[in-house]
Formats: sequence, structure tokens, C-alpha cells
Amino acid sequence: MAQKLDNKKLLACCANGAGSSLMMEKAVEKVMKKYGVKPAELRHCPVSEGKTAARNYDVVFCARTFAKTFEGNLGANTTLIPLRNVMSAPEIEKALKEAGLVE
Amino acid sequence: MAETILQKIVERGHYKFVDSVETWQEAVKLSTDTLVATGYCTADYYQQINDCVEKYGPYVVFDHYVAMPHSQEGAGGVLKTSVGFMRVKDVVDFGEDEDGEKKEAKLFFTLASCDPNEHLDNIQQLMGIFTNEDLLDALMEAETPEDILKAEQDFPCEEF
Repeated sequence: MAQKLDNKKLLACCANGAGSSLMMEKAVEKVMKKYGVKPAELRHCPVSEGKTAARNYDVVFCARTFAKTFEGNLGANTTLIPLRNVMSAPEIEKALKEAGLVE
Repeated sequence: MAETILQKIVERGHYKFVDSVETWQEAVKLSTDTLVATGYCTADYYQQINDCVEKYGPYVVFDHYVAMPHSQEGAGGVLKTSVGFMRVKDVVDFGEDEDGEKKEAKLFFTLASCDPNEHLDNIQQLMGIFTNEDLLDALMEAETPEDILKAEQDFPCEEF
């Protein structure tokens, strides 16, 4: 079955672009595999870079701390998903379901 | 089978057991001690981590008393890639996050990363550890390097 996030661009951001964003990327990857989604791109970067890059992505994941940073920096079709626990695949799955992005 | 991250921590002597600390800043500094002593990072690396936490808040503290102090990818101060482990008996208070949730840690997994491949492998293994509550509980009780290895044997991690 085709998924809404097939061929979409996904981005995970944290302060440093080294630790938690990579964990987020891995957790997102796990959820994508579970649902058989094939995104066009899934990468991680620091919030500083993500702020300007966000408008070119379909979904941006970040720790809740950074949600404010993205205000006014998202594209018309960008969904921001702030996370409490950045490495929780169940939380990511739930948020994507609620946003109607996986089923 | 390749060595696990906890085996590397023990083999490299990158572990420390502490009873209590005054501040989280002191805890972060202590958690880099073994990395400094073995030439994996410079003595002032902790300052970069503390600056980051002060700037962005305690987002390096996760669930179940786990903290992962780290600085930027390719940060100055890192000489070789490794993870330093420290267990503190008394809870270290990192304050509250923006939603008023208390951030506390007893287990420190301090990242020093400059090799992207080894870093990726470390992160994947750490995710297995951080989502393994039985293992985390056992590590909080650890007193010796042998306890670390036994905890891992008793509660193997899921692979990410």
C-alpha cells in the first residue's frame, strides 16, 4: 500500500546535529520500516542549519525544546513534529498517526 | 562478534563511579575525566558541553535517569571517538525543561565523537541501552566494571 510519506523529505534536528538528531533519525527510520514507507530523504542536522532548511522538507522532527525555533521558518506543506523523547519510536509513530501521515 | 560499547568502555577504562556531586556542571566535568586521562578529549571539552546545555536547556537528559552529554559534531576538544560512562548514586539535578518537567540523571554516557562511522555505531548501540530499562536499573546499581559487563549479559539490548 502506498504511504503518504513515500518520496517525501524528512529532517531530524537537535542543537548540535550530532547526538539526539541522529537518534531521532534512527527512531524515525524504524517507524518508516514498520509501515513500509520509502521516503525520498531522511537526514539529521543541527537546528541552526535546520531553521533555514526546514521549508524544503515535508516533515521536521525536533525535541520539544526547539519547537519555538521553527516558528515562521516552515514551508506551507511542512509538518513540525516536536518530541518529548527523541529516541522513542512509539512516540514518533503515534505523532505521525495523529498528523495523518502514516496508516 | 564485534565488541559492544559497554565492553569498550570497560576495556578502555572509560568508567567512573561517584556517590554524589554538587551541581550538574560538576557532573559533566567528572564524566569527561576518564576521556581526558586517556587522551580522547582535552581537559576543557566539558566546558563546550556545559555551554550547550546552558544555551539550549537540559535536552541531553532523557528518560530513566539517563544523560548523554555531548557537543557538536567535529567539535574542538575531541581527539578520539569514544563514550565515557559514569554512574552517580545520588540524583543529579539538571533543573526543569520548558514544560516544567524535572530533568534528573544518575547515568552519564558522555560522547566524544570525531569518527562519523564509529559515532553512528555508538549512537545505535546507545539507543539500545537507553530503551532497555532493566539494563539501566542494573547499571544504576553497578559498583565495578565487572558489574557493567554482567548487567549487559543479564539484559541484552535490542539492535537498532
